[in-house]
Amino acid sequence: MNADAIPVTESFSHRMVTSWKPELTQSDVVANEEIVLLARLRQGEEGAFDELVMRHHSALIRMAMGHVADREVAEEVVQDTWLAVIEGLGRFERRSSLRTWVFGIMIHKAKDRGVREKRHLPFSSCVSVDDSDEAVDPSRFHQSGEWTGHWALPPQPWDDQTPEKLLASQQAVNAMNQAIETLPRTLRDVLILRDVEGVDAKEVCENLKITETNLYVRLHRARERVRRAVETYLEGQQSVV
Amino acid sequence: MAQEEGQPTISEITCQEVAQWASAYLDGHVEDERKRQITAHLTGCAGCETYVKQIAMVRDVVALLPNTVEEPSDPHRLRQAFARVRRCSIKEELQ
Ligand SMILES: [Zn+2]
Repeated sequence: MNADAIPVTESFSHRMVTSWKPELTQSDVVANEEIVLLARLRQGEEGAFDELVMRHHSALIRMAMGHVADREVAEEVVQDTWLAVIEGLGRFERRSSLRTWVFGIMIHKAKDRGVREKRHLPFSSCVSVDDSDEAVDPSRFHQSGEWTGHWALPPQPWDDQTPEKLLASQQAVNAMNQAIETLPRTLRDVLILRDVEGVDAKEVCENLKITETNLYVRLHRARERVRRAVETYLEGQQSVV
Repeated sequence: MAQEEGQPTISEITCQEVAQWASAYLDGHVEDERKRQITAHLTGCAGCETYVKQIAMVRDVVALLPNTVEEPSDPHRLRQAFARVRRCSIKEELQ
């Protein structure tokens, strides 16, 4: 549906998209896999449960970390989530996807723990995020005159950068991970679900109980912070050369 | 910079607005009129074209970032719980 919406990135994203998005949309594939997995789970197949855990455990931990004080508590929250999933499997009615259901349980449990331990929340999680704030630093645009709202400091092209090149640099990877880890919780949740886990926009909204407008405001702010981390990394590279 | 070759279509929407809408635009979540304005703006504005490309790159790279693979702290307990609960419910279904 959005094939014609992105002419500007066509040349770039074509290669990326074809490598991980076949004819079926990603969500179709996920849905089909889930039906099969759910049937195996209900038959009590242990391997199926291991598979479910493997598939989501890392992202669950990362998200839980945004809600609770420390790693240990995050691990407890996710362990409790899995126990609740096991108990609830028989009652799960597929009104949402299995993934949405699992993440929903975790968010619920994490929030519950987070409220109880509020005093100990890491600083980044306490910063409230106003959805009306600008995603991009306003000082990068002309604030007055004929060119108001146009770039004063436009981004410099990342000419020869490719995702592969960025991923090959440990320093770039660290910079991006650091940017993600320090995102306020509301931004981190959307970035992890949508971009890391590849969850449908609609499903993310359902999961986090936010509107699609909210989702894109938050997602864009999160992506912008990661973009800035890459920009800073590349500027550092240039000054070294 | 880019805006010196400005075309009339570019000023329908400012760079700041394009930058604000970049993620929604990339995911095809903007209404038709907005989409047209942004697309027109991008054809004439190098700064915004670069910006939108960078956001697309970030979106794609984030999906590919190597993550530390986490494992449950007590997988044995989970497997046991799974086996116990499934045994019970399969029994119930048979009755
Ligand atoms: Zn522009």
